[in-house]
Amino acid sequence: MSEPQEKTVDIEELVNRQEWWWVAEKKRSKRLDYLRKAVWKKGALGGNYAPGIKVDMEYPVLFTDMWRFWKFDPAIMRRAKAIAHVLDNISIFITDKAQLVGYMGSAPHTILWRVDGASIVNEELYNEPGIHEDPEAESLEKVAEINAYWAGQTAVDKVARVLDPEDAVKFLSGAIGWGAPTSAYGYSGKDYEYYMTGKRAFEAIIEEIDKNIEDAEDKTIGIPGPDIIPYYDKIQNWEAMKLVLEASIRYANRYARLARIVAKHFETDDARKVDLEKVAQTCEQVPARPPRSLHESLQYDLFIQILARLEAHEGAWPARPDYYHGPYFDNDVNVEKNISREEAIDLIGEFMIRAYEVGGFAPRWAREGLQGITGTWVWTLGGVKPDGSDACNDMTVAMLQAARLVRVANPTFGFRWHPRVSDEVMREIFECIRQGLGYPSMRNDPILIANSMHWHGHPIEEARLWLHQACMSPCPPTKNGFQPMRMASATANCAKIIEYTLHSGYDYVVNMQMGPKSGDPTTFETFEEFFGAWVKQMEWLFSTLVRTVNLARSKDPEFFGRPFLSGISERAVESGLDAVSPEGDRGNCWITAFTWVENIDSLAAVKKLIYDDKKYTMAQLIDALQNNWEGHERMRLDFVRNAPKWGNDDDYVDDIMLRCLREAARFSKVIKCPSGNNWPILPENVSANIHYANIVGALPNGRRLGDALYDGGISPGPGLDKKGPTAVLKSCAKIDHITDGRAFLLNQRLSPTQAVGEKGYQLWKAYIKTWADLGIDHVQFNMVSDKTLRAAQKDPDDYSEVIVRVAGYSAHFVDISRKTQDNIIQRTVQGV
Amino acid sequence: MKCINCQYDDEQRNFRYLYNARIDASISMRQCPKCLATIAVDELTGEVQQVVGPGEAPWGKSAGVESLADDYQKAA
Amino acid sequence: MSVCKDCKSFFPYDDNPQKGDCVRKVIDAKQTYYTSKPTDAAHDATQCKFMQKNNH
Repeated sequence: MSEPQEKTVDIEELVNRQEWWWVAEKKRSKRLDYLRKAVWKKGALGGNYAPGIKVDMEYPVLFTDMWRFWKFDPAIMRRAKAIAHVLDNISIFITDKAQLVGYMGSAPHTILWRVDGASIVNEELYNEPGIHEDPEAESLEKVAEINAYWAGQTAVDKVARVLDPEDAVKFLSGAIGWGAPTSAYGYSGKDYEYYMTGKRAFEAIIEEIDKNIEDAEDKTIGIPGPDIIPYYDKIQNWEAMKLVLEASIRYANRYARLARIVAKHFETDDARKVDLEKVAQTCEQVPARPPRSLHESLQYDLFIQILARLEAHEGAWPARPDYYHGPYFDNDVNVEKNISREEAIDLIGEFMIRAYEVGGFAPRWAREGLQGITGTWVWTLGGVKPDGSDACNDMTVAMLQAARLVRVANPTFGFRWHPRVSDEVMREIFECIRQGLGYPSMRNDPILIANSMHWHGHPIEEARLWLHQACMSPCPPTKNGFQPMRMASATANCAKIIEYTLHSGYDYVVNMQMGPKSGDPTTFETFEEFFGAWVKQMEWLFSTLVRTVNLARSKDPEFFGRPFLSGISERAVESGLDAVSPEGDRGNCWITAFTWVENIDSLAAVKKLIYDDKKYTMAQLIDALQNNWEGHERMRLDFVRNAPKWGNDDDYVDDIMLRCLREAARFSKVIKCPSGNNWPILPENVSANIHYANIVGALPNGRRLGDALYDGGISPGPGLDKKGPTAVLKSCAKIDHITDGRAFLLNQRLSPTQAVGEKGYQLWKAYIKTWADLGIDHVQFNMVSDKTLRAAQKDPDDYSEVIVRVAGYSAHFVDISRKTQDNIIQRTVQGV
Repeated sequence: MKCINCQYDDEQRNFRYLYNARIDASISMRQCPKCLATIAVDELTGEVQQVVGPGEAPWGKSAGVESLADDYQKAA
Repeated sequence: MSVCKDCKSFFPYDDNPQKGDCVRKVIDAKQTYYTSKPTDAAHDATQCKFMQKNNH
């Protein structure tokens, strides 16, 4: 049998067996296959870094040395000079066969260490086994020296000094919140409308800055008075922005030079020499000047993401690649025909691989909450343009096709669905889901546009430009809309609300009084009294976390500072203020509500079995919970099976969901962000349902300390949705997805056997129509069989590219902990 | 309770509770303090059902179209 | 004393031959790549394990 025929037969057989990971390996080009396998995975395996991953020591040394040297400079200039020194001196590399370049570490196997973010993270890094280069003793000595220098002067250290001590202790307990209150961590949205539309790039921005400095300097030698005072700081900020932008251009040129040296002195293959010359020309064009081709556009985008990560950790990657790169794709492939469609898809696949390999050192709580990945790169596809017309284009389709070839767990896609999306695009989406990628998630565009306008007052043209900030929350990438600092530490472990209600604010896991003393529940005579205590705990939890991060945001320009991000943001370039300053930011905050549904199911169980049926007393329940249900298994199963559970279209419990959400929504308008805007909640989990398993105590929904919590958002508990997928949707549809919160994550697991062929597509499409008609804002799918997942548990090496949707992100199944794996497997398989 | 891997005998609460992946089932995973094996325990009866290895599912299959968890069906 | 200028991996800048890049091919467990790090021509290379005398 000839080779091409043999390959075709193999692929057909693999398709029939639904072994999509092998199909992808056979279908992708040799180049792409090499690049896919060349990646050093930076995502932690159930919390631990993979063997061979090492901390990059060049960045910490270069940055610290220059920071020390310029000790008398204002903070923003000090930071800019330190970053520029890194850009000029850090080792760079080009992977063999690569056409896109750029990485924040000095070698492919390294992870970046952010030295100026938080001392507690620095200490954790010192103690982390296996990540220090040999000889380990020497590396550790250097780490200790750097840690000693930064102790007390990192961004979080500075925030902790001004925070209310009680808030600080409770936040640092790790029981109630998740995230770090600084722009050093978290992530930034970007003002894409400023620099990604082809109108300008770094040279043009530098010219704008020069003009602003010139005008400001005229003022500072003019008539003295209070109105010229702000210009002194603004000049410093502008100088810092300019310094970093200039260094960024030099950094790109270093890659150009390296590409030419490799072509001339190392490479023997003529085709590869041509590629390297192309790389060189691309790096000379961008980011200095606007891109002219798809290659340059992707390289520009990648450079900016890398440069942002040399300034701050960036735990997400807000992007809308089909919208911003689509015009270049169309021109190159369809109009000027500079490259074939296959070449373009190959390049897009490489772009995804470059994104996948990105990762910095993260503390253990972050690794456990984001198992298998280094951050949530949820790229937004589809949607509409500012005039409301369909924004899907040829690149939308190409991205979906490239995703199936490279099968990376990150980036994943969130698709902005609207009624005018073409059947062609819907089929491509379905194919991704059917092939077990776990993405795209589906977002209800009309609902979310209205939601953005309702909660944050974004004008409709800006709201229509929205893209995912991380897993879920929309934000426009515009001058006053974009979000420069994810207020990430307003991420609440909401299961503690019901836990504290039961114990009058006392946390038996961390053994301290955390919440307010809302009363001994054994004295509550009615469910209304009990619910009143719940509201008190909810208000306390949200207030504590929001206070912390509001302060951190307001102080961030002083305690940290983002000269690079400022240099690519219109309002910062125009105003001379740090991009993170709340001034000029409309505000787009939300409280990520982890572990939300536990409240609903627990409240329903208490109402039914204690107050309505009077089958148990509160004292009996409290006793059972304090014993972790030990010796009370029959009672525990009663609370699980004989109290209504969310997700079954049962008004008894669904009304409780609405009550809880509406109390939170009411309070969301009371608490304000530094820009004066609202703080709506957004139920979703990442893999915090595993991280918090040993932090949340036993609850009336039947869980014990140690059990995984429910998997996300408004998803029913695994196995507790007994009435089929329509009932789940009907429960979710009772929520008003515009006014009851920011967005609501819904995981659904579908059977791969049902997804076969045209019938499978029509079933799924009908499901999506029902979902959309019901006004639900989000849904995402796992479509992998139990058999495959159990086999992957047994023989992980044979299933390394099997992907599952964990929560707001996807991960390779073999990279997540056993507990997380079992939690995903136990999610109810719905038949559509 | 007796571990079926090493025969260690002790009170149930001294076998460290790991987790229960199916909240509506009475099977949980505990760890023998002596041999550290992961064992599946019926919390209702205290019976140790099996040592749990990679790929094994003492709860049975996921709920939904591919059938309910075995022990839930028994109790239902 | 060996200095970087004497090494095959040293590529001087056209406009300032006292500085340049150290460029090497590296093969690690996953990939082949080419790395570049700025260095001075006169930088002491005696302890450098990658030093390869340039015989030109």
